[in-house]
Amino acid sequence: MSARKVVKKSESALYLYCIGEALTLAPLLKERLPAPIEDEGRLELLEADGLAAVASAVSLKDYDEEALQAHLADAAWMALRAMRHERVVDYFAKRASVVPLRFGVIYLDRAGVEQMLRERAQELRAAIERLEGREEWGVNIFCDRKALMDAIASISQRLQELEGQAEAASAGQAYLLRKKMDSMRKDEARAEVSRTVERIERELREGSEGATRLRLLKDEAGEYGELVGKLAFLVERRRFDEFRSAAERLAGDVGRAGFRLELTGPWPAYNFVTSN
Amino acid sequence: MTGEELEFQEDELSLLETLDHVLDRGLVIAGEITIAVADIDLIFVGLNVLLTSVETAREVLHERKKKILSDE
Repeated sequence: MSARKVVKKSESALYLYCIGEALTLAPLLKERLPAPIEDEGRLELLEADGLAAVASAVSLKDYDEEALQAHLADAAWMALRAMRHERVVDYFAKRASVVPLRFGVIYLDRAGVEQMLRERAQELRAAIERLEGREEWGVNIFCDRKALMDAIASISQRLQELEGQAEAASAGQAYLLRKKMDSMRKDEARAEVSRTVERIERELREGSEGATRLRLLKDEAGEYGELVGKLAFLVERRRFDEFRSAAERLAGDVGRAGFRLELTGPWPAYNFVTSN
Repeated sequence: MTGEELEFQEDELSLLETLDHVLDRGLVIAGEITIAVADIDLIFVGLNVLLTSVETAREVLHERKKKILSDE
């Protein structure tokens, strides 16, 4: 029985950012640190079994389940906290191998955190080891539909075949073939989008330690057109130049058909915290 | 090639990218106080809609991640 439990419920709780090896993280706390999620807290390490969680104190006034639920509806409140969470994780991820946690992991006291570290030590250690020297890069694929439609006739083999037939055919047949081609354009463009996303995933995966396709939210568009694919790659730091060159080559290739690639990162490995 | 098609933008905030990472991904640990995963998904969708048009949020967050823009 912990003495802690007897004490009147504390007014503060601990907000967690990421987990790494205690020995690696300890020196990093002596540097100039990014702001914690709430100004009143300060970043600290909670250790158990050689592992350490980066945490800071938050007031239960804002972070008990009810208060938190209310804050979640407030976009400005959330955006600032999410950004601070990310900055803290980013600070450590740039200097050590850490497992980034999702927003909103909160413990009432140190004992709870320590127990969690002990219980999940094996899994956490495996992840920390796997992420060593690696970071996440995102590749967003945008498509300018109009440019794609303009280019599709010269990209699609089926359309080219039909065009060949139309050229050799009588005027009447050619007319019918061209009509058929018009109705095929949209389908071929759609097929070209999935071929392109698959190709980018396949080719960039080769220079990476892992790849994952992320879901698209509706209405996600950039100034370069409609977002048609969102990929994340786990890349060895020392191989990033290679990865970037491959992305540049691909961007050049698919650019002709109206696709643009956007590379974002480096990110802590949010998408690669589990091994599968 | 010129790299014109590969965007690599320094110091341009991508708030949505950040929210997407922080709210939607990362290791899920059931702490003693936790927001349910389903809630996080909903929140993210809501914020995504909201923040695309919230200029103040952009100001707060103007430091984020390098996006890559090689045609500048």
